This record gives sequence, structure tokens and C-alpha cells, in this order.
Amino acid sequence: MAQSATEKLDTFPKLLRRNAAVRGSNTAFRHKDLGIWQSWTWAEVYEIVRAYAVGMKALGLVRGDKVAIVGANRPKLYWSMMAAQVLGAVPVPVYSDAIADELAYVLDHAEVRFAAVQDQEQVDKLLSVSERVPRLKTMLYDWGRGLRDYDHTHLHPIEAVIAQGRARLSEGPDVGAALDAEIDGGTGDDLSIILYTSGTTGRSKGVMLTAGRSIAAATDTVAFDHLSDRDEVLAYLPLAWVGDHYLNFAQGLVAGFCTACPESADTAQADLKEIGPTFYFAPPRVFENLLTRVMIRMEDAGSLKRRMFHHYIAVAKQWGEKILNGQEVPLSARLSYGLGNLLVYAPLKNALGFSKVRTAYTAGEAIGPELFSFYRSLGMNLKQLYGQTEAFLYVTAQPDGQIRADTVGPATPNVEIRIEDGTGEVLYKSPGQFIGYFKDAEKTAETMTPDGFVRTGDAGFFEVGTGHLKIIDRAKDVSKLKSGDLFAPKYIENRLKFYPNIKEVVAFGQGEEFVTVFINIDLTAVGNWAERNNVVYGSYQELAGHPDVYSIITAHVDAVNAQLATEPAMAAAQIRRFLILHKELDADDGELTRTQKVRRGFVGERYAPLVKALYDGSSEADISTEVTFEDGRKGVISARVKVKDATLFPATSTTGKAA
Amino acid sequence: MLHVSPQSTSAAIAKGEVLLNVENVSLRFGGVKAISDVSFDIRKGEVRAIIGPNGAGKTSMLNCINGFYFPQEGHITYKGVRRQKVRPHEAASSGIARTFQNVALFKGMSTLDNIMTGRLLKMKRGFLWQCLHWGPAQAEEIAHRETVERVIDFLEIQAIRKTPVGRLPYGLQKRVELGRALAAEPELLLLDEPMAGMNLEEKEDMCRFILDVNQQFGTTIALIEHDMGVVMDLSDRVVVLEYGRKIADGTPDVVKADQKVIDAYLGVAH
Amino acid sequence: MSAVTSTAPKPMLSPAMMATVKVLGVFGAIALAIVLLVQSGAMPKGSIGHKVLAAPFIDMWDLPDLLVQTLWEGLVAGVLYALIALGFVLIFKASGVFNFAQGIMVVFSALTLVGSYEIMTQRMGLPTGVAVAILALIVAVATMFVLAWLVERIVLRPLVNQNEIIMLMATVGLTYFLIGFGEYVFGGNPKVMITAELGLPTGNTQFNILGGRVNIQHLDVAAAVIASVMIAGLAFFFQYTRIGRALRAVADSHKAALSVGISLNQIWVIVWFTAGIVALVTGIMWGARSDVSFALEIIALKALPVLILGGFTSVPGAIVGGLIIGIGEKMGEGYWGPLLGGGIETWLAYVIALGFLLFRPQGLFGEKIIERI
Repeated sequence: MAQSATEKLDTFPKLLRRNAAVRGSNTAFRHKDLGIWQSWTWAEVYEIVRAYAVGMKALGLVRGDKVAIVGANRPKLYWSMMAAQVLGAVPVPVYSDAIADELAYVLDHAEVRFAAVQDQEQVDKLLSVSERVPRLKTMLYDWGRGLRDYDHTHLHPIEAVIAQGRARLSEGPDVGAALDAEIDGGTGDDLSIILYTSGTTGRSKGVMLTAGRSIAAATDTVAFDHLSDRDEVLAYLPLAWVGDHYLNFAQGLVAGFCTACPESADTAQADLKEIGPTFYFAPPRVFENLLTRVMIRMEDAGSLKRRMFHHYIAVAKQWGEKILNGQEVPLSARLSYGLGNLLVYAPLKNALGFSKVRTAYTAGEAIGPELFSFYRSLGMNLKQLYGQTEAFLYVTAQPDGQIRADTVGPATPNVEIRIEDGTGEVLYKSPGQFIGYFKDAEKTAETMTPDGFVRTGDAGFFEVGTGHLKIIDRAKDVSKLKSGDLFAPKYIENRLKFYPNIKEVVAFGQGEEFVTVFINIDLTAVGNWAERNNVVYGSYQELAGHPDVYSIITAHVDAVNAQLATEPAMAAAQIRRFLILHKELDADDGELTRTQKVRRGFVGERYAPLVKALYDGSSEADISTEVTFEDGRKGVISARVKVKDATLFPATSTTGKAA
Repeated sequence: MLHVSPQSTSAAIAKGEVLLNVENVSLRFGGVKAISDVSFDIRKGEVRAIIGPNGAGKTSMLNCINGFYFPQEGHITYKGVRRQKVRPHEAASSGIARTFQNVALFKGMSTLDNIMTGRLLKMKRGFLWQCLHWGPAQAEEIAHRETVERVIDFLEIQAIRKTPVGRLPYGLQKRVELGRALAAEPELLLLDEPMAGMNLEEKEDMCRFILDVNQQFGTTIALIEHDMGVVMDLSDRVVVLEYGRKIADGTPDVVKADQKVIDAYLGVAH
Repeated sequence: MSAVTSTAPKPMLSPAMMATVKVLGVFGAIALAIVLLVQSGAMPKGSIGHKVLAAPFIDMWDLPDLLVQTLWEGLVAGVLYALIALGFVLIFKASGVFNFAQGIMVVFSALTLVGSYEIMTQRMGLPTGVAVAILALIVAVATMFVLAWLVERIVLRPLVNQNEIIMLMATVGLTYFLIGFGEYVFGGNPKVMITAELGLPTGNTQFNILGGRVNIQHLDVAAAVIASVMIAGLAFFFQYTRIGRALRAVADSHKAALSVGISLNQIWVIVWFTAGIVALVTGIMWGARSDVSFALEIIALKALPVLILGGFTSVPGAIVGGLIIGIGEKMGEGYWGPLLGGGIETWLAYVIALGFLLFRPQGLFGEKIIERI
């Protein structure tokens, strides 16, 4: 199976063949089954994928067909993708928890003829929508429990398909030769995969990615993060998400590292600990949950353990990041940190499964600076990146040594970024970028500029001096103050929400002279403070209106203003006036969406008298609002809410707007 | 377009071989008659439901079958052998496993250890080998562990493998208890209100597990359940008890239409 | 110190370590306070305070060899206490019965061993020596088995599911039956343990350490070793064997154990037999240190404070509790006894236990019951 050195590795099947030849005995996949980690080498995977492809071909799969992949991260589903690609078919991974309606739309839109699914649950789900997916003919499944009595005319266990392929391959060399021809016939321009994005508005769009571009993108980042075939990842993110396909599938094949699949979704955390991956990705939410769990566990621990934990976490907070960044640190701090590492950080990282992590990324939403530096201070190389499905993930990433909580880093190698004048929208051109939305020329045209740039839909700016990109908000949500300066409500809101005392923020300012905010205090955090400081309060309303609480919040607002003043694009959008709302914003009252996002427009209308007070200079205002109690009864809350002025800071940079 | 559908097997069972036969069984506690003169049979491979209002003697019936109680009158024939006083451990070794209305688990042990106890009867290696924990005993332990892992996989409880069961929520405890019964690879599985105290989702899962056990391993199942929807969906045949007497017996459709059953469930005075 | 690593509670090490650390911390603080008091002159030499709080520690410091000797003797006694307590715990866990007769089983088993050896050598004319001693040992083991079987048949089975106090009374009855039966068969005179015949080492070794002499009885070394091996063996047996698993199952829930095919009767025989073997070993060791007579029963009552300390359901608790009582007793007798005219060894254990009860009624390792409400 020796390949000529000049062969172009421009498709994933060719990379698989290369890996089997170059590092055939290295472990390629692991999967915990029946409580034991099973593993497969690259050579074994290549053999299985070949047999699988032959079996699929026998079932009628041909070049250009679409194959739906539905289920959790299991080796056989990854191999289904590989086998489909060997034949030049296009895998279409689908979110396995998608509701039937969404699933039916995607499967039909993608014109899938085959589906490789995990188990009975997915088979049933597909069967339930089969009327709406007329092209779907054949279903393959990984795990047969409960499927024994199903009609198997068009339903096959993956195991059996592979076995059949093996049998055919053993019949003679022709079958294998034909398969090699299929692999050789693939080119970098072939469609490699279609990833459907779960659109926030409207139907999902099928992002078409080609093999050559995908591999080019992955090659760049493998070099960027020094990944090699000695690395190992745990694949626990949804198969249909670009993150999993990029980080695990594409980088795995390019770098030749091992992909471990958890036993089940519920065991991922325990499996993480057993595998000890060297490269790790998680959205901020996961890091936050882990931290909360650690903190709760520590509260239950004995007092000695607890005190030790808090002491060394404080040490880490003070010195950890500096040590990680290679800054000057006094010897005593180094010693103390070393002891802390022995007693707390190393065991903690081990418990979380992060002992061997060399590089970890987070992305998807803004990460709180406290949270970010907590993990970094433990000595974990956690970095941020910014990207999207259309880019095949990366647009920017933080290189080692230039890591900060408040930026997403500079453009990754070979990526070009420009900021559109006026809107502040971020546009990019990247090696991995998509070739268009499947069967949707209109949307493609909207997203791609004539000169080949892709619109992200996010507004951002480059930080002066460092060239780091800062994302401020969705471009459509960014508006302007009366002066014409950028007003990014979410950016300001997030800044404030990083303070534990603040639960929710609503910023106003579109077309106005200046920026104002509503603030919701966090009852747990502020209530805790009140208890510690003997502040007596009878209700949420009373606590929210307490003068001391106002001074705490004023300090937070001032601090945010000071930060904003250092950012040229944002300096004009400092918060001039604010108030603390007398009630918590509530989804039952329509003020939040069910996913706990503020409905800014609705809140503005509902509290119109308060918004008026923010802008007309009055020091307090009366408001009465109808509320819905938990038992469904309705009532009216009336209150007099105080309005406070915040401190404004002069813009510290004179270079003007970056955009 | 695909046409795949699960098939029902109830037609075949009606003519099937009798696994357990209850003949004129009566059970008294002092002067109170818990069961009077009840007869029915359980056929190989079926899901047999025992239903009835509270205090109808359903659990007492299960207790008679697995040897917790000895009926004063009547006989129980199992696998063609008429049993005299059977003790619980003898019933267990003859292939009868059960779960309880209020879960009876080993709360201090992990899920894995709990399910492992289901294999105790199958462990044959001698005492000495076990003490040495070596050679055949170790091989045997590994084989049993594999069976247990299959059960864990089957019930999708990998995540709680090492958790002490006392810490698990009720729904999962019931699942672990089913797992322990399954680990014994029983021929007859007695389930006492397997879905009591569960939410809708847990009930659906449990239904699926029960059906899968029945279809995949061919295990005969006798179950007590209050949720009529569940009973009618799951079972091949239903026997209805009231005040310790049998008032109806047949397929779910037949039983549903029976006037005496309707009266019993609506509480019509006799 | 893996603060957050342990997802499942480790059986004994982790809480034991924490407890040890805590105890050491408290002792350290007290020691510091005493040093400060003495240094500041608040406790002049000869005052009551000095005699109680300072002088014994100064003695320990001045004569470290004596301290080592005392600690060693305490350790050996502690291991034997632990063995007796272990017998209680086994039976309590598996059948919920507080076996009052455990102490007398120690005497009875030892008596059976010595008595049958006497009968074989004196009345049946067999030659004295190791072979017959082992034969006697087999007879004793068999007797303990028969006893376990009879207890299950005659006491436990008919009384199953009865009130705990009734079970306790039954074991009290068993105690008096064993005393009477033992005296009837073997006579009431104290007997000498067949130490040498069983191959146990006698004699002693003296070490010159820390500027003094420490005298170590070979028998004590053997006792410590045998007891440790026995405890380790039992721990292994419970953790890894089928019967061990069944025992733990029965200890947890009778109903569930029955449903998986465990025969309670069989388990009870095994548990009582195991407790009998533990009693026999204890009896041999104690008997070798003094005589074998029903007076030994008194040491069996020492198990009570050990149990209070360790908790009724915890095997590690029995071991640690035994050691604390054993060492505490010897130290108390050696260093503080003279203040009270000596002889405090007989009651000190109970005082320690009483003090403990005030602070931690569930014992050192008393079972934390996991309950969901």
C-alpha cells in the first residue's frame, strides 16, 4: 500500500490511507464498551473503512449520494463518514437530539438516500418521519438493542455491512482495486461534508465544505497548535457541529492523533478523567459548570481541606497566570505555587481530566474573565478562538503567550480579516471557507462578497496595538448613538454581567445622546453580601433599592466605564446613567425568552417611564407593572426607582475609531 | 420510503407451553385471607400482568411465587414440577428473579456491586479458589463481570456504575434493581410495580426495557402495575384480582371489556 | 491530598487519615498549651497541674525506652481487643444481633483447644507435641463450626424477625449455657495454653535503644502478626469473594439478599463460624499471656468500649478503636496510674469510651446512613 511521496493528500480517504501506511500501529480510535476501553489502530480502521465502503457500495451507495449520520460520538459513526467519503458520497451529520420536524426538513433538504444511525431510538425517529423523506432508502445502525423484530429489508447492522464488504474483498483483487480507484478518483474539489447550521432564524442552512479546503484549514491549525500523532482527544461534542468535525475528525486525520469516544453522553466527564486528553475544547458553559461543581464539592469538604483549597486558589489567582505567561515572579511565590500545585492544582486537574491537556480552547460565547483566569491560573493552557461553520471553524485564535480573556486573538495564519466600515461587521477569507449553502444560492450570495470574503454577521474591532479581534455583538444588534458612535448593547451588558452581583442588564442608547442601563441584582450574591454585612431587607424590592447596594453597583458600572474608555471604538458608549430594577426580569412576564435572553424591545416598552427617567435627568421615577406569580395569578407591583449617574472617563487612546 | 415495524408475538404465546401454573392457591395471615382459591398460568415467553385494586393480593401472589410466603392451600407448579415449600433462595436458583414495589437494593454498594450480586448464584468456583482470587476463580469473575457489563449497557446506566445506589434518584434505583434481576439471567422475571413513582420519561424508558428483555432474551415476565395504559400496552395476558379472588383473565382487550373489571376499577358496590 | 478527586467514598483510608490529622492537630495544640503553661511558670513543679499535665510528658521525653515499651504493650493489647470487637461487628452487621456471647466464645474456644489437647494426651495417651496440638486445633475449629450451626438452627432461625432485645437476651442465654457446658466438660480449673505445642514462639528479645532497654516478647510479635494477617485476610474475604459479597449483601438488606438467591441460614452459619474462628485466635493469644479460664471473660467486655469508639458496624472502626483503647490503657496505667494509686487499667477504657460518646455518638467510623427524603 506504499504511496508515492508526491501524491496529493487532498481528501480524507487519502489521509486515512496515508495514516495506515505511515503510522499503522498507532491507536486511531478508542471507545469504552462494556466498561472497557477498546482501541483500533490506523491500519485496522483503514481495513474496516474499506470493507464498510465495499458493503455500502453493494447496498447501492454511489458517488454524490448524501448519507445522514445520526447519533452520538461512536467510532462506527465516524467510520460511516469515512466510508461514505471513500466512495465519494457526502456525509451529512445531523443533531441527534433534533426534533422530528427539524430532522425531517434537514434529511429531505439534503436529499439523503442512506442513513447511518446509532440505535433504536434514532431508527424510530427516522421511521416516524419517513413519509417526509421519500429519498431515504437504506438505514444502517450501530447498536441493535430492541431492533431484532424490525423488518430488515432496508435496515442493516453496520457490523453486517462491514462483514459483507470483507467477504467481497476476499473474493478477489478486483474489488479492492476498484476501491483504490475510488479513493484515487477523489479530488480536493470534491464536496467533503455538508454541515447544517442550526439557524437562530428560519430554516437550517447546509454549509458545503470541500475536502481540499477542509484539509488546508486543519493543516494550518495542526501546525499552529503543534499537534502530532502523539496527541489524544475525547470526542464528546455533537457530530453535526463544526467543532467536532473540525477538531476531532479533520485534525485527527491530518495529524494522525487518537480520537477517544465516551461510553455514553452521561459518562463523558468520567471518561475524560480516564483518557486524559492532550487537546481539549469546551464551550464556556462547560467550564462554568465544572467550576461550580468543584466549588460545591469543596463546600461539603472538611474545614481543613476547604481552607487549604481556598488558600492555594488565592495563591494561584495571584501568581498562576504570570507563571504560565513566563513573567517575572518572586521565588517565594514560585515555591508557594509549586506547593499549591502538589496539594491542590494537580489533584484538581486530575479530577477534572485535565492533567495532560497541552492546549485547550473555548469559544462560542463570551467567557467571564474570572472563569477564564481560574483555569489558566491552575496552569492549564486555555485559549480562545473565534470562528464559525462557514469558515470551517477558525477565523482567529490566540497564539501561546498572547492569551487574554477579553479578545479572541489575531487572525489565524492564512486568514484575512476586514472590518466593514459603518456597520463594524467582521468579514474574513480563510483557507477552509465554505463554497456555498446547499441548494440556497440566495443565502450564499447574501453571505459571500463578490471579492470572496464571508460575512460573519458579528460586529467587532481590532484592538489597537495588539491586532487582537474583539467581538462586540451580532452586527444586526449593533446600532449608533445620536453622535454616530457605535453602540453595542450586548457588549456593555456582558461586561456588567461578569460581576457576580449583577444578574441581568438591559442597555439603551440607540439614537440617544448617551448610554443608560437597567440592572437586575443577583439575589443570591447580593443577599449573601447583605447577610455578611448585617443589612436587613424584607424583599427583593427593598434590597434592590438599598443605598449600599446602589453604591456597590455604582462601583461596578464605573469600573466598566473605565475599561470602555480604554477601547477607542467603545469609549463613547460609556454608561452615563443607570437604575436598579425593583423586580427580577422574568420569562413568565415575557421579559426574557425561555432561554433566558433579554427581550430588549419589550422591556423598553414595558418600563417606558423608567427609560424616560434615565434620559430626562430625574433622580427617581414611579413604575407599576403587572406580574405573573408562580401559581399563575396576576398582580401589580408598584415602586419608586432611583436613578444614579455613573462616572465617565476620558478616552485614553487618541488613535480614534479602529473600524 | 422505509417500512419497518415491530411485530407482535402475542398470538404465538396463546398456545405456548406453561412455565408456571398456580392452582387453587389460598393464603391466610391469621384470620385474614389475602388470596382465596386463585388459579392462573404463566406461559413461556409472555408478559403476564397481574392487576387489581389496592389490597387485592397482587404482591402476596408474587411473594408466594418466589417463596417469601407459603400458601396454605393449593399448589404452584413450576417447569412441570409441583413445588412444596419453596424458600426464596431455592426459587432464585431455579430461575425466578424479582424486583420489589419499594426498591430493595444494597444501598451501601455501588451499582456495579449490586448487579454483581445478581450473579452470586452462578458463581460456582470453590471457596478456596476464591480466597486465592486466582486461576479459575479469576477467570470466572471476569466472565461474570462481562455479563454484568452487558446488563449495564442494556439499561444505559454506565454513568452510575460506581455510584453507591443510596445516592441515586428513585427512578434509577428501580433500573438498577431490574439490572440485578436481569444479571441472574432468569427464566421468570417478577416485577412488582416497576413504574411506581416514576415520571413519564422514566416510565417510557422502563417500558422499552421490559419489552426488550422479553423480546431479546425471551424472558417470561409477570408484572404488577397500576398504570392501566402501561399494562394494556405491555402485556400479552392479564389476570385481575380483587379482594384476593380472581375476577377476570385474558388478553388486554377481553379484560378491558369485562364488566366485573370495570366495576372493580370504578368501585361499584357489590 | 486529592481534595476533589474521590467521587466514591474510599472505604477506610481517607476518613481515617482525616481523623488522624485532626486528632494530631488537637493533641499538638494541647501540647503547645502545656509547654506554654510550664514555661510561663503558671504550673510550678509539684503542683497538681504539673503532675497531671506536665510530669508524665517530661517522663516520656526523659525515658524514651520506657515509652517505646509502653506503646508496644499497648499495641499488642490493642490488636487483641480489635480482634474481639471484630467478632462482634461481623455478627452485628450480618444478622443485626448484638452477640453478648462473643466474649465467652473466646474462652470457650480456647478451653476447647486446651481441654481436648489434655484429654487426648492424658486420657487417650497420645504423645504430646505439635501433631496432637494441631489435632486439638482441628477439634476446636470443628467445635466452633458445630456451635455456629447449632446457634443458627436453635437460636436464630426460630427467632428470626423478632425484636432486637429478644435476640440479645438469647445471646445472654447462650453465654450462660457456654459457661456451664464448658465447665461441665473441661472442669472449672484454669488451664495453661499449649503455646509451645502450637509452634508459637516463646521467650523474649531485649533491644538497647534510645539509651535504655526494651523488652519484646516473641509471643507478642506473633500475636500482632497473626492478628494483622487475620484482619487483612478477612478484609480481602469480604471484598473479593462470592461469600464476602453475599455477606455484605445480607448486612445491607435481607429482603434483597433473599431475592438474589442468598440463603440467610447459610450466611448466618458462616458468619458465626467466622466469628468463632476469630474468637479462637483471640483465645489462643490471650490464653498464652495469662491462663485459660472463665476469668478471661472480663477482657471480652473490653470490646464494648472499643465498639463504642469504632462504631458497631465498622470493621476499620473496630481495628482503630482497639488500638486506641489498648494504647490509651497502657499509657494511662504507666504514666497517670501512679497518681491514682495504680490499677486504673481496669476502668480507663470505659472512661475513654464515655468521653468519646459525648462528642461522637456514632463512633469514629459509625455508618453514615445515606437516606433520601
